[in-house]
Amino acid sequence: MDLCFSPSSSAEAGAYKLLELPPDLCKLIEKAIDTSAPLRLKIKGKSGEDAVLCTANKTFAVRSVTLSNSILVVTPPSDASCMNFTDDTVVIRDQVTEILELTPAVPKLHILSALLRGKEYDGNQDDDGVDAETMDATKITYNDALHTIQASDMELDDGLKNRHILNINGELRLIAPAYLDHLLELFLNGLVALSLSHESASVEALSSSLADDHEVPRSISTQVMSWFGEIEDGKWKMDVSALTKEVGLGILRHHVYQPISQDELTAKWKTSVGDAFASKVNIELLLGNYLASINDSESLTYFPASALPVDPVRRFADLFLTRSRWKVKDIAPFLADIAVDSKERDKLLLKFARATTDADGVWYTARTQYSG
Amino acid sequence: MIIPINVASSSSNPKLPPGLAKISHDEVVLIELQGALEVESDHPSERDGKLVGKLKVDEATNKFTLLVGHHLLEGKISNIAKPLAVLLRSRTVSNVILSGTEGAGQDDDVEILVHNDQEVLLTNDVEWDMIALVKRKIVFSKRPMPVVNLTARTT
Repeated sequence: MDLCFSPSSSAEAGAYKLLELPPDLCKLIEKAIDTSAPLRLKIKGKSGEDAVLCTANKTFAVRSVTLSNSILVVTPPSDASCMNFTDDTVVIRDQVTEILELTPAVPKLHILSALLRGKEYDGNQDDDGVDAETMDATKITYNDALHTIQASDMELDDGLKNRHILNINGELRLIAPAYLDHLLELFLNGLVALSLSHESASVEALSSSLADDHEVPRSISTQVMSWFGEIEDGKWKMDVSALTKEVGLGILRHHVYQPISQDELTAKWKTSVGDAFASKVNIELLLGNYLASINDSESLTYFPASALPVDPVRRFADLFLTRSRWKVKDIAPFLADIAVDSKERDKLLLKFARATTDADGVWYTARTQYSG
Repeated sequence: MIIPINVASSSSNPKLPPGLAKISHDEVVLIELQGALEVESDHPSERDGKLVGKLKVDEATNKFTLLVGHHLLEGKISNIAKPLAVLLRSRTVSNVILSGTEGAGQDDDVEILVHNDQEVLLTNDVEWDMIALVKRKIVFSKRPMPVVNLTARTT
């Protein structure tokens, strides 16, 4: 058969791209083709950023790999071409010398928290009228986030929950930590006062009591409830560990510079959550948010992974400036949010740290000298 | 900015001849060459529609030969380690009828055509269509053999 250039090949040069599919994405696409269900993937990013490809719930980094060979994209001639091709001619649509490679990536959500800092919501409704113009200019809406944040829709929604970002009439606002602590206290007290079971508490009852007695808008309390449990059919099933963890963090947050002993923390913590949940209090819930002092592993200081730089080079620099050497089990919680899985975490350790073994086990130290 | 990739279900595009259709996809086949096709021309559009060579399939042995000018290339089917999606860029035409001067979004470059006495918005938003998912390709990896007498030039 004849192999020709397509009649539109010069016009279509560069209009074809080859995308390498990781196995799970390939399955997803094949399923969509087989069932004729529409599937839309999105490439997200601003002009200067590295692109990511998002499915409904996963994010992949996109990289271009140059090939030493060239690949011809060949198809039958399109009906529209009016050249006199013989019956079994096939045409070259494009010559491709690059392939786009996809690697699973952590969704880039930290930008959200950074953008929303400084305008935390703390229950005061006195924003209206004050500097209305500048307020609007820096307003970030949920729609803005959907369009610009490099994460899949589901990962964005999960991110808003995990980072405690409220959606107030479409506008995104970080909740002030102190206000969150206050709300959680109100929930715990409310459950007791209204004799509601934490497994199935009436959302209406709880949010009404908070609205009537404490001026907390219903939409706010409902959103916060959804961060710490599930709401179904008007009933809130509290996620006890998550809420307990947050109460613990609320206490720990005051101890950035002034350490608190583990015993004191545990005692305060149990008092705050009340008898019902005291048994759930466990220091492990706070992994990735505290440092145990080297001298006496009893005193803890607040050191959240979320405050560390996202870029690996700078994160490791900060970690090694804080502590010159780490054991895997101590450093791992502070890498969990920048590595997709434990394999990638180990790769980061290999790349940015040096492992040495002594009588106590394996220690990780910095590869380069950090002054200070 | 969001660039959508549409995964199209089966379309009404013309199908490849049977010898090629059964390799991986019935509408698109990928042919890998060492090096690239060099075309002598003053202008890129001169090559449009021109014959490149003759592609032959030997169904019995699943071997392919490509005759380009004086060179005969031998190739075979090989599996692609990670399946490739073939994407084709398309430009969306949004039939939004404008009335007055409604502004367009900041990200969109828009052209306004007058069509049938109505203004139609033609956006420059880029979209890609996935036209095929290919798992095997034809690779011509051996050195080309010079042949005499047999040329792929049409008389």
